[in-house]
Amino acid sequence: MSLIEVENLKVHFPIRGGVFQTVKDHVRAVDGVSFSIEQGQTYGLVGESGSGKTTTGRAIIGLNDITSGKVLFEGKDLASVSKKEYIDVRKDIQMIFQDPFSSLNPKKRVVDIVAEPLRNYEKLSGKEERIRVQELMELVGLSPEAIYKYPHEFSGGQRQRIGIARAIALNPKLIIADEPVSALDVSVQAQVLNFMRKIQKELNLTYLFISHDLGIIRHMCDHIGIMYKGRYVEHGTSEEIFTNPQHIYTKRLIAAIPDSDPKNRELHYEKRKLVKSEYDKLEKDFFDEEGLPFSLKSISATHQVALPERG
Amino acid sequence: MWKLIVRRTFLTIPQIIILSVLVFILAQAMPGDALTGLIDPSIDPATIEAMRERLGLNNPWYVQYIDWIKGVAQGDFGQSFRFKMPVSELIGGRIINTLWLSLATLVLTYLIAIPLGITSGRFNDTWLDRAITGYTYVGFAAPLFIFALVMLFIFGFQLSWFPTSGSVAPGTEPGTFAYFMSKLYHLLLPALSMALITTVSTVQYLRSEIIDTKQKDFIVTARAKGASESRVYNRHVLRNSLLPIAAFFGYEITGLIGGTIFIENIFGYPGMGELFLSSISLRDYSVMTALVLLFGLAAIIGALLSDIILSLVDPRIRIK
Amino acid sequence: MRIDKDSGTQIPDVDLGKSPSGFSILLRELIRDKVAFVSLLFLFLIIAGVFGASIIMDQNDIVKVDLFALYEPPSATYWLGTDYGGRDIFGQLIIGTRNSLAIGILVTLLTGIIGILVGLISGYYGGTIDNIFMRFVDFFMVLPILMIVIAFVTAVPGYSIVSFSLIMTAFLWMGIARLIRSKALQEKELDYVKASKTLGTSNFKIMFFQVLPNLSSIIIVTMTLNLAGNIGIESGLSFLGFGFPESTPSLGTLISYARNPQTLELRWWIWLPASILIFVLMLSINNVGQALKRATDARQRRG
Repeated sequence: MSLIEVENLKVHFPIRGGVFQTVKDHVRAVDGVSFSIEQGQTYGLVGESGSGKTTTGRAIIGLNDITSGKVLFEGKDLASVSKKEYIDVRKDIQMIFQDPFSSLNPKKRVVDIVAEPLRNYEKLSGKEERIRVQELMELVGLSPEAIYKYPHEFSGGQRQRIGIARAIALNPKLIIADEPVSALDVSVQAQVLNFMRKIQKELNLTYLFISHDLGIIRHMCDHIGIMYKGRYVEHGTSEEIFTNPQHIYTKRLIAAIPDSDPKNRELHYEKRKLVKSEYDKLEKDFFDEEGLPFSLKSISATHQVALPERG
Repeated sequence: MWKLIVRRTFLTIPQIIILSVLVFILAQAMPGDALTGLIDPSIDPATIEAMRERLGLNNPWYVQYIDWIKGVAQGDFGQSFRFKMPVSELIGGRIINTLWLSLATLVLTYLIAIPLGITSGRFNDTWLDRAITGYTYVGFAAPLFIFALVMLFIFGFQLSWFPTSGSVAPGTEPGTFAYFMSKLYHLLLPALSMALITTVSTVQYLRSEIIDTKQKDFIVTARAKGASESRVYNRHVLRNSLLPIAAFFGYEITGLIGGTIFIENIFGYPGMGELFLSSISLRDYSVMTALVLLFGLAAIIGALLSDIILSLVDPRIRIK
Repeated sequence: MRIDKDSGTQIPDVDLGKSPSGFSILLRELIRDKVAFVSLLFLFLIIAGVFGASIIMDQNDIVKVDLFALYEPPSATYWLGTDYGGRDIFGQLIIGTRNSLAIGILVTLLTGIIGILVGLISGYYGGTIDNIFMRFVDFFMVLPILMIVIAFVTAVPGYSIVSFSLIMTAFLWMGIARLIRSKALQEKELDYVKASKTLGTSNFKIMFFQVLPNLSSIIIVTMTLNLAGNIGIESGLSFLGFGFPESTPSLGTLISYARNPQTLELRWWIWLPASILIFVLMLSINNVGQALKRATDARQRRG
């Protein structure tokens, strides 16, 4: 059984308008998304901004209301469990936020930030709590003496580590990482990513990794889902997506990854031009009248693509 | 745009209803009722009871409320207990004076605010700006009634430049030029006292608005194109800063109402604010509640007008 | 309604300057600002002097009518002369300042508590609750509050200082509520609030222990400025005769003697000292408040 299964998830936001502010239409931020993640694996959710990847993550953790669909965590539907059960389940799902500055309360000391989940779920004495926080600080590679400092005394990378320490404080099973490094300097990004892989092995964590950066996704993920306008365009193993992309949108995204080797520059440029002309030619076939991708069709056991309906 | 205006206008309906309920509750809470103003205390209790019944004073509150609303909608505010005349007539005699006072104050407010605000904003951080900012500081801190008293003390009593009470010199014939001039003369000191205080917030607004605007890219561009400094100000900065101010007059009404209560009292000026206070001290409660309702309506409508005008001249300001 | 659809690569503006040591920075800025510092010192002196002196003074003695000393000009016995009842103006000034300050502080605290509660709940939850609260607040902000307070003061039977403060409070909490609401609305969009939610912290705790501390400097600034405003409103109402009862000295009551033209023209010692005192008090409190406001702004610029 997968750790988490998402079935036909939809998140719609109302658009209000007119004299009496009545609901005129809906923004279909997430419009029928399904995937599942195995224990200990990393699942990557990719898409441009506005594709609904962040909303998907937020819906799973309960920050956005689910319009329809199911989220099964260890077989339990999060929408239908009792409130008491939900609080327990929620303990097992934690989140790492994009912005290391706004995600830590500037008025709180590190010890209060990291201990916040502990105070909600575990009744520890003051001393036990301090020891646990210091352990967590050590685990994320920060000095245990720093627990009485305030967030603004740390660098962006260090703050993100504090955010991670807070997220793993309750020994969760699933961590939703929403663009965890995109606000950091490139030099710090790799450090944080490698550190995330290290604690994944140590603590047997499962990641839902949300990013717009395919390079990072390739580095981190076992399975990948590519989203466009709230729907999936392609889904498969990392290998399948990167070596055998089927959807023109995926192809274009992959072609857009910069190549660091200057010798290949001409070649890379030619390839990108080719992909672009193919995209322009086939755009009408791959998207419906509203510009949305079609539903997924399996081309192998693990690989699904939103191929055109006709032909 | 029209949707915003329609929505904003609809919003005033519940506001007016709440105001009317508030005033009705006030009227009910006051000692005595409409009958107290009508009858002679020597009439026997049975007759009074019959009259109460006939006037609907024994009806449940909501029936009384509806009756009262119907009356108010037709301009019937009941009888004044002290002056033995309909409240509407009593107010009618005073309303003109207060309107003149408010108008004069508004005009003076703008006459003071615009040059001061522009000077202060355009030449910010000069000694002139510092002097104007100092004035706004002092004006912001000084309570209106104290300032008015000092003005009356200095210009009315010590220097005798202005009359110290009334709205017109006794004995002048209405309709003549002398009458008009006398009215104006009586108006000047009260209006100036109020305007010098109320203008402060407009000066401050204008100053910060101009300082903000002149750092915007389009002003920098206009300067870079070689437009003269006065052209930059007249064509670009002022257009952006003055229009919103022109729309503020509606919001000022709320402040003016509070102001006229003090000013008319201090300068013995026979307007609605003075009537309000004297009706309380004379226990003439039907007059008092009618005035609360009228002033409340004026404030609600003023805010409505300002909101609408502001949304027309400045699309950045949205009515929620 | 704002649609928080997908944060993508955008990083929200963050106020880096909003450091936890806000109080000490506010205090440091205040000391650095000469005008504000002098104002603060002056305020401390007045408060200490007035409350100290009022312990020694006997209020009953001061308000006792003395028919042999009506309208005495200032002298060695009566430092600031006497009023129409032969009562010592200086004594009334001391007691009156104490009473005005006390009621100003009381009303500021009460309106602050209500305003913070309503604003925080309204801004944090948003939606229908917010809509209803804010329509209500907008309505009362438009009304001529002074007039309605006067009307209620007249209508309330058994009028006392307690009912006076409550009526003032009932109509004066809206401004701070609106301000806190708009700040809370901004604050709840920040990720630390979302993080607290995912960590299982209750909405109540998030509102009061996570969001509220981040609003502390704006609350201090607003309450300071409100204090000046409330002292002004109280003295204005007392001036018109709708504030403190006459047996309780207040600065407004002293000034109200000037409504008699003869007193205004000829007996300045009765009304002028109280007028100057109110003005200087309000000016000083405003100076401190404005300096605090500048301090919070400057920190935002630095961020």
